[in-house]
Amino acid sequence: MEKILAKDSLSKWVATLEAADVYSPVFEDNQWNYEIIDDPEKVRLDHALAVHSPKKVVFPQREVYFEFTVKTGIPPQFVEVQPEEKKTVVFGVRPCDGKSMMHLDKVFDDDFEDTYYTRRRNQTVLVGIACATPPSRNCFCTSVNGSPAAEEGLDILMTELGDNYFVKFLTDRGKALADNAEALFTDANDADVQGVAKVHEEAIAKMPRNIEKVEEIPVTLKENFDSPVWDQEAMRCIECGICTFLCPTCHCFDIADEVSNTYPVEGKRVRTWDTCQFPDFTMHSSGHNPRNDKAARLRQRVAHKFQYFVENFDQYLCTGCGRCITDCPVGIDIIDVVNKVRSHG
Amino acid sequence: MGENVYLPKVAEIIEIIDEIGGARAIKTFRVKMLNAEDDFTYECGQCAMLSVFGKGEAMISISSSPLTEGYVQFSVMKSGRVSLALFALEVGDYLGIRAPLGNGFPVEEWEGKNLLIVGGGIGIAPVWSIVQTALGKRESYGDISLYYGARTSEGFIYKDGLAKLKDQISLNLSIDAEEEGWDGYVGFVPSNLLDKKPSPENTIAITCGPPIMIKFVIQNLSVLGFSDEQIYTTVENKMKCGIGKCGRCNIGKDYACTKGPVFSWAELKQLPQEY
Repeated sequence: MEKILAKDSLSKWVATLEAADVYSPVFEDNQWNYEIIDDPEKVRLDHALAVHSPKKVVFPQREVYFEFTVKTGIPPQFVEVQPEEKKTVVFGVRPCDGKSMMHLDKVFDDDFEDTYYTRRRNQTVLVGIACATPPSRNCFCTSVNGSPAAEEGLDILMTELGDNYFVKFLTDRGKALADNAEALFTDANDADVQGVAKVHEEAIAKMPRNIEKVEEIPVTLKENFDSPVWDQEAMRCIECGICTFLCPTCHCFDIADEVSNTYPVEGKRVRTWDTCQFPDFTMHSSGHNPRNDKAARLRQRVAHKFQYFVENFDQYLCTGCGRCITDCPVGIDIIDVVNKVRSHG
Repeated sequence: MGENVYLPKVAEIIEIIDEIGGARAIKTFRVKMLNAEDDFTYECGQCAMLSVFGKGEAMISISSSPLTEGYVQFSVMKSGRVSLALFALEVGDYLGIRAPLGNGFPVEEWEGKNLLIVGGGIGIAPVWSIVQTALGKRESYGDISLYYGARTSEGFIYKDGLAKLKDQISLNLSIDAEEEGWDGYVGFVPSNLLDKKPSPENTIAITCGPPIMIKFVIQNLSVLGFSDEQIYTTVENKMKCGIGKCGRCNIGKDYACTKGPVFSWAELKQLPQEY
């Protein structure tokens, strides 16, 4: 189903969405981020790449698993906490970030279903916006089987077309989002379809970064596990973890108890984002650490994305959004790293 | 919607055995589920995520045998935050348990073979489950030998169990340095193997211990003629979720908590050396 929506009708559409948390890119403190908007007029689709991807909507930085009370002599009492049931819509999802949801699904919705994730994911509708211009100077989605107009993971893909949006409804969940706004949409014609194809084509041509022969990378990494490049490249890493915290596909987490300083002890078991770039992430209580230096940890990040995940799922665990490059305070560039491993061995 | 994989079940501690004291003290906890409907079956080598509410969770291997009735057993070395908290518990106190997690040793496939079981330090715990299972089905296995090393003669756990084993299996204890009155082997576990030269003929070797011990045990087993397929180990990297999501226990593409912790050397040697 392909429709046309006038740009000035966008906020009218948002106004028809019932009982939903609506996220939109919001420009604040000189940066873009996805935030819940309380006023339909605040919806924006002219954003550069947001600092955080909408990953946080389905996999929040902090999530309470359960609350417990501990009192001597009686079994611990605990109460499960699950995400609030609330229809959620995210506008302005970039295609790379939409695709990242497919990767997260593979991790969280497998033999052991993570109900915290699946509940949020199933109640969230992702409205994508194709990139007419790559929204970051480090975009390289086309190198990792993505595109500025990729549909994977999205429920709707919108494309800017002059004074209108071309709106492609991809799933039933997406279609249902227009149920109360049918009058705002008109049918798209052949000229619109051709126009959109041209926008998409031009965006691809403007892609600023590229990994040459990316299909070689998994084997390159496997064969160069002991490459000196890992050490050379990791030397300047300050172990801040930004590359992983901002990555739309990174999903590592910690589980810890937060407790009161009272009796009976009141506590919460909490999941928080964690990162393979921290030394104690893998350190055994004996002090032994399987990934004992920064080189091993950089290699883990790169190999997870371009070797291990490929070996398990035949997909790169990277959507080419470029955040890890743009936001690394010391300029570690994942494209340079894989190229150096390839050329230096 | 499936069940919540992060919610522990409650178990009660029914017995605590003070195995050894000191800075690396070890205690054995025997627990039973508070509610009978939470009882679970498990395989040798599988693990459990134990909770001390308020302190967190730690992955501990199950050291009792699936044949054991009435309790599930864990042996824990005082080492990190959770083990420290476990050490403060008493009989009648409660634990959280998520179990069983990970894969197990294929002990049924090994029926008809000789078993060479090699443990060092707290690494005896997961292989103890195999020892007990093989003894419980003694006629199903050929010769059973246990090589077990500790730093000193005070460092062995399961002392009562070891005393009972002497007549049933070949027991080869070792300590790191000379001690008066010690009639076992003196030296590291891998050297004890080279000294005794167990035959690889129709034998499966299983080892667990400190990472450096495992490395040299495997090296020496290869020297003795064991093929990669005849050698098994259990790789218990640091774990949090126990179900292949949280990202820290991986060895290359495989998570130790789901594809392991049990690997044959043939499988493990294909993976990067990150354990």
